[in-house]
This record gives sequence, C-alpha cells and structure tokens, in this order.
Amino acid sequence: MNNSAITVRGVSKVIQGKTILQDIDFTLEAGTLTSLIGPNGAGKSTLVKLLLGLDTGYQGSVITSANERIQYIAQQTNADHYQLPLSVQEYFSIATTRLHSKRKMSPQYTEALEHVGMSADVLKQSVDSLSGGEKQRVAIARALLLEPTILILDEPLAAVDYASRQGLYELIRHLQQDHNMTVLLVSHDVESVIPLSDQILCLDKTLHTQCSPAEFDTQKHEHPQGITHRC
Amino acid sequence: MELLSYTFVQYAFIGGISLGILAGLLGPFVVQSKQAFASDMFAHVALAGIGGALLFGAAPWWGALPTLLLVSTLIWFLLESETYNPEALAMFFLSGGLALALAFVHIARDTVFSFETYLFGSILTLRGVEVVVMGIITVVISLLILHLWYPLIGATRDPHYVIPHRKTPQLIRLLFFWILAFVVWIGIKTIGGLLIGSLLVIPTLACQTWAHSFKQLVVYTTSVSVLSVCMGLGVSLYIDLPPTSLIIGCLFLLFTIQLIFRILKK
Repeated sequence: MNNSAITVRGVSKVIQGKTILQDIDFTLEAGTLTSLIGPNGAGKSTLVKLLLGLDTGYQGSVITSANERIQYIAQQTNADHYQLPLSVQEYFSIATTRLHSKRKMSPQYTEALEHVGMSADVLKQSVDSLSGGEKQRVAIARALLLEPTILILDEPLAAVDYASRQGLYELIRHLQQDHNMTVLLVSHDVESVIPLSDQILCLDKTLHTQCSPAEFDTQKHEHPQGITHRC
Repeated sequence: MELLSYTFVQYAFIGGISLGILAGLLGPFVVQSKQAFASDMFAHVALAGIGGALLFGAAPWWGALPTLLLVSTLIWFLLESETYNPEALAMFFLSGGLALALAFVHIARDTVFSFETYLFGSILTLRGVEVVVMGIITVVISLLILHLWYPLIGATRDPHYVIPHRKTPQLIRLLFFWILAFVVWIGIKTIGGLLIGSLLVIPTLACQTWAHSFKQLVVYTTSVSVLSVCMGLGVSLYIDLPPTSLIIGCLFLLFTIQLIFRILKK
C-alpha cells in the first residue's frame, strides 16, 4: 500500500548554466518527520519551493498524494521592519477567513494557541511585540488552524535564541505525532533535529544521504562548511 | 456657522469628508503594500486622462476615470509579472502621464483650461452631482473594503499570501488598484493630484506606532484624515489660504503632535 505523502523522482534544476539540484530522489512517508540538512547553497530552499509548487521550472516529478493539505512556515527575518501593526487574532484570521465567509473561528484560535503552549491573552497583542520564539509558536498555531496533512518548515528557528530552540523542536515533534502530520524540517541545527527525525536527507545539490537517525554519523558531518558527504 | 449655510461650503465638506473616509480606510493598505508612490502615479495618469477628455470635448474630470481604470489595470499587470522594478515603473507612469497631459492640452488649444485646478484641487467649487457621485463611491468602496477585509490585508501585506481554499490573490490586488484609482479620481477634484498621496500616507505614519492591531490603525487613520479635512477646510473659510494647503498643514501638525508625545513618553 502506497503510504507516501510526497514522492520526488529525478528532480533537477539548472539556472543560467549553474546546477542547483541534480537527480533528487526521495519519498516523504505519511505521518513521519524528515529533516533536510545541508550546507548553505545546497539547494534546500529551492527544493522546498519545488515541493510547494512555487517553482515549476525543473526536470523530474514531484507527486503529492491526493487530498493533501500543505502548510509552510518560513524562516523569521527582520526584513520587514516597517510592517504595520497586526494583532495575533488578525494574523490568524488572514489565513483562515474565506472570501465570502463570516464564520467565527475564535474558539479554534484559543485551542491552536493551547497546542503550542500559549494563552488566549496573546490574541489581542501585536505580532511584533512577541519574542522570536513566540512568533514561531504563533506561526505554527496558524498553520495548525488550516489542518495540514503536510507541514514544511524552512529554518523555522534560525532567528530564535538557542535556549528556546530545543523546546520548540520538541513541540514540533509532539504536534507531528499528535496530528499524524507529515513534516519536512529544514535546518542547520543538526544536533537538535537528528534525534527527533524518522528520516534524514542530506543535500548538497544532490542527495548524498537518505537514512535513519541511527544510521546517521554526526561526526562525519561536522564540517566547517556544513554537511558534505554520505552516511 | 453662517458660512455653513452656503451650498458650496456644504458640498466642500461632504466631498472632503468622503475623501477623508476613503483615504483613511485605504491609506494603511497603500503603505503596507509599499505602494506609497502609486497615488502620485495614478494622479499623473489622471492628468493625461483629463487632457484626453479636453481633446475630445468631454468633461475633464469625468474623462479621467476611464483612463485611471485602464492604466491601473496595466500597472497591476506589470507589477504582477515581477519583471520591472516598482519604483522605476512609478517614474515611467509619473513622467509619461504628465507629458501626455501637456501634449493633449496643447493639441486641444484650450487656453482657458488650467491644470492647477487638478494639481492642487478645487474643493470649494464642487457641484451637486459630483458630491452625490463621491458619496455613492465612498459608501460602495467602504462596504467593499469591509467585506474583503482579511483577504485585502493578506494580499497587500504578504506577496506569497494565498486566500484560504483559493489559488491566488491577484484579483484582490487588481481590485485594490481599482479602489485606489477611484480614490485618486475623487482626490484630484478635491485636494489635488499632487497632494492626495499625503492624505493617504501621513495619517498612517502618524498612527502606526499607537495601534496594536490593523483594525485599530484604520480607525485611527480614518479619524485623523477626516479631522484634518474638516479642520483645514474650516480654517480656510476664515483665513485667506488655500484649503488644500491647510488640510495638509493639519496632517503635518497632527503628525508632529504625536511625535512629540511619543518622544515624551519614552
């Protein structure tokens, strides 16, 4: 029985003669947490865009099972320093309000916040007033409101302080198990994500490693430039 | 108070308040979509439309609307293609619109016509039918913005926003440009094409640090915008200064007051 959420076969991408991705083959099994690791410039973010359907200029195939609902959580940046105020409630409503629906979703907002360990009081607060860790918890809660079957997180904790990261990684794992979601976690934080993962993908333009945490040798991958070679 | 009994003064206040409401509602969306120059772009395009209307013997202000809607659609299309730098596009339409307007007026040989009316506004010369149209547009656009509230916030805030259960928000952004076109159209008749941008942007600048939510911000900006129009217009009835300069002067005054409060608060 085919239990794959996303199947990637022979994916390659070249931009202006430069190979970004080459012959990528892997499967995300339904209900598992997969970590995608690799050095800067390995093509991780490009691969994520292909999986999300934001980029269709590639060779090969990306097959997503029918009825899958994909949600994406991007890395927090300080790029939008001049953003206008937005309350957490509005942040949720933007993602959940249909074009012609006035259905109130306040109870679900409270429940989603509880799932990520935050109280409903935060609904009235401005998103900008939250800490980095709180912002990512709120982003995860928003994603959960849309009942995803697949959750893709691209360096979700890069802007979060080190002390808060472990707790957030464990939260992601708990939510993945509780909701039986398929999760793809892109991260540089090898030591933190490996123990949580069901599968590890090690990418550097091509897929060098696809294995379980037990098979993954951390020492071979501690390199100043990041991950390089196979398991 | 006796001055308020005059029809032209009543029309000026109705037209001005209509614009104040629209500019206050739309301003935060304009700022967060990084389209602060869009109103200037549209105003210069409107001038070309006015020039074209003169050329064909049509009423100038009414002639500006089809041009605005057509060009705003073109601008939307070019921005959505993500091929051209938005600021460079703004300069293209700013200068192009003005150049066309000058050419059309020259060809029309209309020695009576003055662009000044549309550059700096003529709020005290509004006619009844114009005020009625402005009022209807204000009601329709206000209801539209309220109906599309969250998709409009999402579409103007996040380039990767996807309306829940739909594919893409391009049509919401097109609607946003059309709404802006209507607001600029009303603006060129009331406070002028060169200054409508101030009414859109300055209230947002003045209120953004005081609000904790987008809804709160829009309430504040609409209040500031309407207050500035009423104050400026009211004062202009008693002192010999153009209403437009006093309206914008009130905006700057309110911005300065909030800045002082903010510094003192720190």
